[in-house]
Amino acid sequence: MEIEPMAVSLRPFRISDADDFLSFAGDDRVTRFLRWKTLASREEALATIRDVCIPHPWRRAVCVGDRCIGFVSMWPGSGDDRCRADIGYGVAREWWGKGVATRAVRMALSQVFGDFPDVLRIQAFVGVDSKASQRVLEKAGFTRDGLLRKYAYLKGNLQDLYLYSFLSTDVVPAD
Amino acid sequence: MEEQKQQTAHTSGGSGVISLRPLQLSDVDDFMVWATDPDVVRFCTWEPYTSRDDALAYIAGTILPHPYCRAICLDGRPVGSLSVTRNEAAGDACRGELGYVLGSGYWGRGIATEAVKMAVAEVFGGARPELERVQAVVDVENEASQRVLEKAGFRREGVMRKYFMLKGRTRDAVMFSRLSTDDDS
Repeated sequence: MEIEPMAVSLRPFRISDADDFLSFAGDDRVTRFLRWKTLASREEALATIRDVCIPHPWRRAVCVGDRCIGFVSMWPGSGDDRCRADIGYGVAREWWGKGVATRAVRMALSQVFGDFPDVLRIQAFVGVDSKASQRVLEKAGFTRDGLLRKYAYLKGNLQDLYLYSFLSTDVVPAD
Repeated sequence: MEEQKQQTAHTSGGSGVISLRPLQLSDVDDFMVWATDPDVVRFCTWEPYTSRDDALAYIAGTILPHPYCRAICLDGRPVGSLSVTRNEAAGDACRGELGYVLGSGYWGRGIATEAVKMAVAEVFGGARPELERVQAVVDVENEASQRVLEKAGFRREGVMRKYFMLKGRTRDAVMFSRLSTDDDS
């Protein structure tokens, strides 16, 4: 069952998000496909929000009501790579299967090109086994550029990754 | 007999032995031949060199300490260069990016293809033991370079739209890769 569109919002992280942040960033099922180390304590959650989430070039808390249940990050490039940015995202396990991540990615796409005028291309690297994440990107209107063989390590394992892209000139499909 | 010996070494396009060796400061005048040529640097992110001192600084500061950079030599004389990058982040250490340039007077003779094949054999053969993947990002309009990589046994993985800026313009690029486990095609 899809969540109501109005119920999901993006906003900057706050120190007061620490418990909610720990709840999903401390869950191996959420961090499985991320390069994040699974958080183990409220202290780690506070430090991560303070030292990483808040100073980040572009990281937003994905909220239902005012409660943080996930994140979306954009990493813009610099110099000759300034026209592209990498997207990453994660949602608490209990909110999977409700269209939250797709909603959050669509909202991020509607904001990021204004926030980074040099960025013309958003790209995402997705594990070949990460089927749910591939669906999120496809529903948000990304194109699969190709399969990059043995592209990177994830938690010590060499990965084949799909590369997806969305351009500032692309159109987000209708709901 | 002498000609037959030449034929069995690394030869392409009918004449000359191709080899790779580290580029030195003493190669600066040969470097300037290709690095000042607008045709050669057309698809490079850098402008042609205009100063021998700039070239010396580049060789000293970037080439000498490079994890893998080689002069492409024809009969022992540098006519181009190639390199494979190293990524700092541990998670990205499995891959390196290949780049190469060749003097325009030597184009069309299979020299770049041979040099790329030799470099791949060197990096996977021990020069870069951490590498599982060598990739190359090629401008969609650089058809000659795409042919070099195809002939050298790289696989075309896809086209990346508006991937990077080349001299102020956004460019679409093709991703190619060769793995340490790929068979010779």
